[in-house]
Amino acid sequence: MTDATATAPTAPRTRAERDALTRKRYAAERRFRLYGMVAIGIAITALVVLLASVLGRGLPAFTQTVIRAEIFLDPEALDPAGTRDPAEIRKVLTFAYSPLITASLTSVADELAAGGAPEITPALLAGMVSEAATSQLRDYVIANPDRIGETVEFEFLTSGRIDQYVKGNITRESSEGDIRLDPAQLNAADELMALGVMERKFNWSFITGPDASENRPESAGLGVALIGSAYMMLIVLALSIPIGVATSIYLEEFAPKNWLTDVIEVNISNLAAVPSIVFGILGLTFFINFMHLPMSAPIVGGLVLTLMTLPTIIISTRAALKSVPPSIKEAALGVGASKMQAVFHHVLPLAMPGILTGSILGLAQALGETAPLLLIGMVAFVRDFPGPLPEGLFEPATALPVQIYNFTQRADPAFVERASGAIIVLLLFLLVMNTIAIILRQRFERSW
Amino acid sequence: MNTVVADPNVFQPATDKGTLHMSEPGKSKLSARKVNVHYADKQALFDVDLEIPANKVTSFIGPSGCGKSTFLRCINRMNDTIPICRVEGGIELDGTDIHDPSIDVVELRARIGMVFQKPNPFPKAIYENVAYGPKIHGMTRSKAELDELVHGALRKAGLWNEVKDRLQEPGTGLSGGQQQRLCIARAIATKPEVLLMDEPCSALDPIATAIIEELIDELRTNYTIVIVTHSMQQAARVSQRTAFFHLGNLIEEGMTEDIFSNPREKRTEDYISGRIG
Repeated sequence: MTDATATAPTAPRTRAERDALTRKRYAAERRFRLYGMVAIGIAITALVVLLASVLGRGLPAFTQTVIRAEIFLDPEALDPAGTRDPAEIRKVLTFAYSPLITASLTSVADELAAGGAPEITPALLAGMVSEAATSQLRDYVIANPDRIGETVEFEFLTSGRIDQYVKGNITRESSEGDIRLDPAQLNAADELMALGVMERKFNWSFITGPDASENRPESAGLGVALIGSAYMMLIVLALSIPIGVATSIYLEEFAPKNWLTDVIEVNISNLAAVPSIVFGILGLTFFINFMHLPMSAPIVGGLVLTLMTLPTIIISTRAALKSVPPSIKEAALGVGASKMQAVFHHVLPLAMPGILTGSILGLAQALGETAPLLLIGMVAFVRDFPGPLPEGLFEPATALPVQIYNFTQRADPAFVERASGAIIVLLLFLLVMNTIAIILRQRFERSW
Repeated sequence: MNTVVADPNVFQPATDKGTLHMSEPGKSKLSARKVNVHYADKQALFDVDLEIPANKVTSFIGPSGCGKSTFLRCINRMNDTIPICRVEGGIELDGTDIHDPSIDVVELRARIGMVFQKPNPFPKAIYENVAYGPKIHGMTRSKAELDELVHGALRKAGLWNEVKDRLQEPGTGLSGGQQQRLCIARAIATKPEVLLMDEPCSALDPIATAIIEELIDELRTNYTIVIVTHSMQQAARVSQRTAFFHLGNLIEEGMTEDIFSNPREKRTEDYISGRIG
């Protein structure tokens, strides 16, 4: 359409004809710019909508409604042996904590009644407190055994429904007919918020705590998933970058060009296009069924993600090596450098920004990968934190994207908010990794 | 050369790289016998026989694709780095075949330096550019020695006065002509005996070209220089001997003034008078 010689000129073009051609050329250019701006506009709109919806839904997950109450940590009930030894205290199950909480809530109700709010009964309050309150208190006591015998101020999590009501995610109208929510509790919640007994606080346990069951969304957290993802990233980092970069350097600079290397090259490109779930099946049959590595363990997840990331890293590293001008290598060879010296002293440093960017993007891709992890059992419900390295690699864990998938599978509306909150955490990590990639690229970038 | 038995009464060829290039004037530094080069199925050079005298400038001229650069790259075995390239025949440096197993290709390239068509300094400091060759060959024992060698190479390349205050600045920040002189300094820092130049001035303006040509003339007292050029004026200005290549054949070679004033071959005459090429 921009080809001026399309019609063979039999006679020289007139001035007017040439002007018309020029106008057409400029019009084509303007149209193309317009298409470009429209495309960018669509992309930006999509991004804004995505971020707005994720942030709008997910940010409340980082706060949690709590009821503040004084509680007497009765030594008779909590530490019958009287040793203050955490191992002994652990033997006391959550059942022993229920009466203490009931007593504490009763005194809160008494105070409120004296202050002019007699409709808030101890039973009503007990219904508003999370089912996780007993284990919450038990964890606190195990961590602070010297507090036994004292009266401490404690912040009980409210139940998921009350929390959602305070955050405005459910209303009186939408909760009509909800058997898990008594309208009287909503009135009480409004009053308690006004009185300052109940308040919204930043929710650290969403980031550090383990997952929780369907019935207690208020205490569900990402701790296990974060550790699982971190362990897997360590494995991917330690394996895929050295193997990938070494493979690329060999294939690009040293390997003879014959049919075998051609076949390898084509297959690496094919591997990059293999659906990730196929790598999951490979991991299941090879690492778990054949090598008998444990299910749900970060070691298997890390190995599978390494296999999945390798083609990405190899392809980007080879592209980076290719983009180094051959004249630089020739110059090094020309002064008598060996091939290895030419590659490691000159080609590799110049390819470094590209290699690092590719590797970090590969890692980011691995961090967000879900499908293969489902197949190797990382979708399991895991509440126990994996131990420290290196044993922790062989203990069950989940991963961040799988945790998001898990949250979205659950019925309670509180998990919708938690899924979005977990997405925000994942996006933050990806953002950090991309920022590192950009910084590294700028640091290493040199012009020639 | 490697089999010479040490006898104090017999003259020993010097093995120090620094003195090796002081070979007898007039004798051939390089001699090529029946050199054939193939790129995959395509033959690029046919039976080239050529003597290149020491301490003279020999220029290769000929139209594009005639094989002059290919032949130049045979001399320091740069063609070894191209997988599809096959070199046959013999090239002798001081009487030893460069493909002889006793010759290490890395060593050979230190003895036969090369300057490329496009200035290609390393994206490193000016100092590092020149110091790289001596460093990898372990030519100096101390920083002071290396400094001296680098400064000397920059002086010989006529670049010293322009860069002495900014040795730590990147070589890529220099002008095109300066970059090419930096590449020459880099090549002579390894104390080569032969300097190969592949169209060293084709990317430069006339003033930078004049400086390089002057430099080539000065360098020839210490080095045997082979230069590929597209400019016949340049060949006439800088070289003592000229070889004319056409379609992969060496058509004619001889004293430069003979080639230009009275060529023996019709094709040579056609080329230098502008009828082919």
